[in-house]
Amino acid sequence: MNGIINGIKFMVDMYVSGIVYTACLVFVAGFLWKMYFVYYKTPQPLKIPQTPQPTTLPGVIMRMAGDVLFFRSLSKGTTLLFIAGWVFHFTFFLMLIRHLRYFVYPIPNWINGLGNSALVIATLLMAALIILVARRYLDKKVSYVTSFADYFALLLIMGIVQSGIMMHYERFRPDIVEIKAFMFELMEFKTPFLVMIMHPHHAPGNPLFITHLSLVALLLIYFPFSKLMHSGGYFFSPTRNMINNAREVRYINPWDKG
Amino acid sequence: MADEKKAEGHCNEGNEACEANERIQEHLKFSKIKVKPPKLTGEINIPDLNPNSMFEVKPQLLTAKEMLAHLGYPTDGLIPNWKEVFLRKMDEMLKKYRSVRLYMDICVKCGACVDKCHYYLGTGDPLNMPVARQELMRKVYRRYFTLPGKLFGSRFVNGSDLSEELLVMWYTYFYQCSECRRCSVFCPYGIDTAEITMAAREILNSVGIVQKYLHEIIFKAQTIGNNLGMQQNAIINALEFVQDELQEETGLDIKVPIDVEGADVLFVTPSADFFASPHIESLYGYAKVFHQAGISWTMSTHASEGGNFGMFVHNYEHMKKINKRIWEAARDLKVKRVVGGECGHMWRVLSSFSNTMWGPFDYLDQNYKRPQHICEVTLDLLNRGALKIDKSANEEFIVTMHDSCQVARGMELGGVPNGQFDIPRDVIRGVCDKFVDMPAETIRERTFCCGAGQGLLGDDMMATRVKGAMPRMQAYHYAKRESGVNFVALICAICKAQLSKMFPEYGIAMEEVGGIHQLVGRAIVLGAKEGV
Ligand code: SF4
Ligand code: SF4
Ligand code: SF4
Repeated sequence: MNGIINGIKFMVDMYVSGIVYTACLVFVAGFLWKMYFVYYKTPQPLKIPQTPQPTTLPGVIMRMAGDVLFFRSLSKGTTLLFIAGWVFHFTFFLMLIRHLRYFVYPIPNWINGLGNSALVIATLLMAALIILVARRYLDKKVSYVTSFADYFALLLIMGIVQSGIMMHYERFRPDIVEIKAFMFELMEFKTPFLVMIMHPHHAPGNPLFITHLSLVALLLIYFPFSKLMHSGGYFFSPTRNMINNAREVRYINPWDKG
Repeated sequence: MADEKKAEGHCNEGNEACEANERIQEHLKFSKIKVKPPKLTGEINIPDLNPNSMFEVKPQLLTAKEMLAHLGYPTDGLIPNWKEVFLRKMDEMLKKYRSVRLYMDICVKCGACVDKCHYYLGTGDPLNMPVARQELMRKVYRRYFTLPGKLFGSRFVNGSDLSEELLVMWYTYFYQCSECRRCSVFCPYGIDTAEITMAAREILNSVGIVQKYLHEIIFKAQTIGNNLGMQQNAIINALEFVQDELQEETGLDIKVPIDVEGADVLFVTPSADFFASPHIESLYGYAKVFHQAGISWTMSTHASEGGNFGMFVHNYEHMKKINKRIWEAARDLKVKRVVGGECGHMWRVLSSFSNTMWGPFDYLDQNYKRPQHICEVTLDLLNRGALKIDKSANEEFIVTMHDSCQVARGMELGGVPNGQFDIPRDVIRGVCDKFVDMPAETIRERTFCCGAGQGLLGDDMMATRVKGAMPRMQAYHYAKRESGVNFVALICAICKAQLSKMFPEYGIAMEEVGGIHQLVGRAIVLGAKEGV
C-alpha cells in the first residue's frame, strides 16, 4: 500500500516539476525566438509610420508608451472593448506582480499591500474576461471573425483566474508556506538536474493548486505560438515604432542598400 | 500549343491545368454591376452583416500579353504549378516585409477594426471588415507557414488549403481594399491591412491573376512615362494649351515651362492634372503661384508623372522604376529642388519612400534636400506675404476639406506633428474666408477614403466605388446641411476623379469638387510684384 502511495506521490512530484520547467523553457525559448528571428530579423524595407507619426525618437517612445499603458489606439474605437480590454490587462498585470511573493524573499511591502485587495482585483479581472467573452459571442461582427483559438485563450485564462480565486477560500486553500518552499526549491540551480535524474522535490499535493499550475503551464507553452505574441510583437510594429522623418533622414532598405 | 487551345476556350481532354485556368477565368469574369447609391442622410450607420453581397464584383483582368510579360507576370492566366509559385511568393513576402510577417502573427481579433472600413460601411459584406480581409491571407499563413498547420493541417489551425475558390476570394476582396489604412489607426497594434493587401495582390500577380486597371497603368508609367500613356509631344501640347489658357485669361505672360535646364524647381504632379477636370484648375493655380512668387520652375517630359501605382502592390521594383524618372529628371535639368503637386499616394512615395529608393539627394540645394509639397511652398509664401491674395474671389464658397488618406495617415508635412492636416487647411484659410470641417470622425487621421484609391478607380469598379464613397458622401452632406458647405477641397488626383464622379451619382453638383490650388489660383492677385 505504501508503495502505491509513494509511487503516486512520485508521479505527482515529477509532473509538477516537469511541467513547470517545460513550460518555462518553451515560453522563454519560444518568445525569444519569435522576437529575435521572426520579428527582429525580418527586414522592413520602407518607412511606414502612421499618424500621429511623431517626427522624433522621444515622440515615438511617448506614442508607444501611450499605446502600451493606456491603449491609446484602441481607445479611439469601441469604448466597451477599450475599457474591458484595459481592465483585463491591467488587473492581470497586478496579479502577476502579486504572485511575485511566491518567488522573492523578503517580500517587499508594496507587494504585500496588493495582497489586501487581491480578491477585488481578481474579481475585476474575471468580470473583464466575462465581458470579453460575451462581446465576442454577442457582437455579430466580432463573432464572425472569432475562431476556437480566440475563445481558447480567454477560457484558459478564465480557468486560471477561477482556480486562483477558489484557492482564496478556506476549504480549498493550499498550504502557502509549503508552496513557497517548493517554489524556492524549484529555483535552485541543481533542481532541474535532480528532476532529470528522477529525484524531484516534494510538490504540494493540493489538487486545486496543481490545476492552477497546470493551466498556467499550458498558457506559457501556448503563448509563443499564438496571437498572445501581440505582447512582444507590438514593439516591432512598423506603423507604430518608426520615426516619421523619411525626408530628413534616409532610411536604408535592408535588402536594397542602393 | 496548349496556349492556343486555351485562347479558343477549349482544353485538351484531361489537361487539368488548362481546365483550372478556364474555371478561374470564368469565375473572375467581369460583369457590369449597377448599384444605386444610398440615400444621403448625413449619418454613417454601421450596417448589419450582409454576407456575399459584394462577391459578384470582379474588376477586369489584364490579358495583354505584352504588358504582362513586361511586368514579369505570367501571360496566359493561371499557371499550371500555381500552388507552388503561390507559396513561394508568399514566403518571399513574409521574408521581405516585416509588416506582413508580424501582422500575420499578432492580430488578436479584438474587432476594433471591424466597422472602420468604408467598404464595410458601404456594403455590409463581412469580408470587407479589415480583420476578415486579413484573415483571407492569415488562413493560408496558418496552414502553410506555422508548425501546427504544417503538422496537423488546416482544420486544426482554422486555416485554408490552397484552392481555386481561395484565389477567387482573394481576387475579389483584395481588390475591395483601397489600402487607405484607416483600420490601422484603431488597431491596438497598428496592424496595417494595406500592407497585407499589397502583398496579396503581388502573390496573385505571380500566379497569373493580374488586375487590369492598376497594372496597365504601372506598365504605361514604366514604358511611356505617365499613367495616361501620353507621348512627349502630347504632353507638350497639353501644357502649351494650359499656358495659352492662362495667358488669355490673365493677359499676363504666365509660363508653364517644360524641360528647362537650370530652373530652380522641378515640379512633378499627376498627369491627370494636365487636362482632366477639375484637376487642371489646380495646375493653373500652381502656375500662378510660381509666377507670382517669381520662382523659376519647370515641368519635365521625362518625369511627366508624379503618381506611382507601383506602391499599390508589394513589388518594390515597379515602384522604384517609376520613381526613378523623377530623380533622373532632377539631375538632368540640374534643378535645386523638387516640388510635388496635389496627390495622395504620389506624396507617400515621394516623401516616405523615394529617399530610400533613390537618395541621398545630395545634388539638390541642401536647404531643400527633401521634396516639398506644393502646400508647404504656398503656405510659406503666404506667410511671408509674398503672394497678394484677394479672398473675395472665393466669396461664393463655403469650403471643407477631404483629407486624402495617403497624406493624412502616411506622411509628415512641414516637419511638424499634424502638419499634414494643418498646412493644407491653413492654405485654404489663407485664400478663403469660410472654412468648415466635416464631422470629426471623418477627417484628419480618421478620414474616410474617397472610395477609389490604390487601384480601384477603374470604370469596371463602379460598384465598389459608389458603395465605398458612402461615408465621405454622408459626411459632406452633413456639412452641407448644417453649415451650407458647397465646395470640397482636395489634394489628391484620385480623390478628384472619384468625387467628381460620385457627387453627381449622389445628387450633388460636380462643381463642388476641386483642388486646393484651384482656390489659390482664383484668389491670387496677379501683376504688381511685392517682392519675395
Ligand atoms: S483591430 Fe487589429 S488586432 Fe483587432 S481585429 Fe483588427 S487587426 Fe486584429
Ligand atoms: S486599408 Fe482601408 S480599405 Fe483596406 S481594409 Fe483597411 S479601412 Fe478598408
Ligand atoms: S484616392 Fe484619395 S482618398 Fe482615396 S485612398 Fe487615395 S488618397 Fe485616399
